[in-house]
Amino acid sequence: GISAPVVYFVDYVTNSIYLEDIVDSITVQDHINSVQQSGSDTSSLLILAEKMGELLARMHDEDLIHGDLTTSNILLRPPTEKLDLVLIDFGLSFISGLPEDKGVDLYVLEKAFLSTHPDTETVFKALLKAYAATSKKSGPVIKRLDEVRLRGRK
Amino acid sequence: MDLRHQLELFPDCSVTLLLFNHVKNAAALRKKAMEGSIEGALINPAMIVDPFQILVAANKAVHLHKIGKMKTRTLYAEIIFSLSPNNNISDAFKKFGISDSDTAVLIVLIVDREKTVNLEDIASQVEGQQVSLDELPQLTDTAKVKKMYKVTPQEEKIGTLLDSIVCRMSTKDVL
Repeated sequence: GISAPVVYFVDYVTNSIYLEDIVDSITVQDHINSVQQSGSDTSSLLILAEKMGELLARMHDEDLIHGDLTTSNILLRPPTEKLDLVLIDFGLSFISGLPEDKGVDLYVLEKAFLSTHPDTETVFKALLKAYAATSKKSGPVIKRLDEVRLRGRK
Repeated sequence: MDLRHQLELFPDCSVTLLLFNHVKNAAALRKKAMEGSIEGALINPAMIVDPFQILVAANKAVHLHKIGKMKTRTLYAEIIFSLSPNNNISDAFKKFGISDSDTAVLIVLIVDREKTVNLEDIASQVEGQQVSLDELPQLTDTAKVKKMYKVTPQEEKIGTLLDSIVCRMSTKDVL
């Protein structure tokens, strides 16, 4: 129940996976950049942040750790306004129920987010708020996120 | 009336789908299929939601056939097996192959691009009416499909039924 490209075919000979191509999609990274460049208020990004928070909450509740969360690993299906998100690039993903792993997952995204998109602290805050509200197990995860931040671990 | 589709990964192979309704000789057809005296995979259309589902199964079957790693004995049996979300071959035949009481049949043929296939020859063996593939959705038993592939309501909110099915078909060897 997590939005990701559909697996069409797995070739064990060449070790390749054939996935759905999401035509005319853009990365969240490109979307945020274009919104900021067009001079629009970042408040329009708050709903996007909420949707991202909800998606990640559902993913973590299934104990799935993405491992490489960045805004270029989340796509927006066209039309962009619908804010239909798709997670991609699970090359570093693994299963874990540990709040530590989930906290680190979010921390990686936070660092990537804030370093790629200046002045988006409020946006990320909205993401975490939605995450906490959606996830059934968010308490310990947010706590670990705070601890990881203090440790300054990458 | 029929759908002929070339496989992207295997360009010399094309997949042809023929749909028949009001079929009266399902039992005889099933017997012929088991004996190997009719060309094609005979599939129960109630379990198919979209021709793409067949293409994914056919693609996998052709791939395994080429590398000599099929789980069943023939290419057509392999297509039926590939449709199943589990690894039980006889269950796959029971659920996805035709039964004696069926009144609709979907015939899937794999042809080398160079060869022409005699569709009339095959159609003449079916005591029924050949219909357009556009009628496939009417023949689909959605509830049965969801049960077979164990599709959850949660999943249906995110993607289409076809998405859920294709995922299960393509990753069943890993799970």
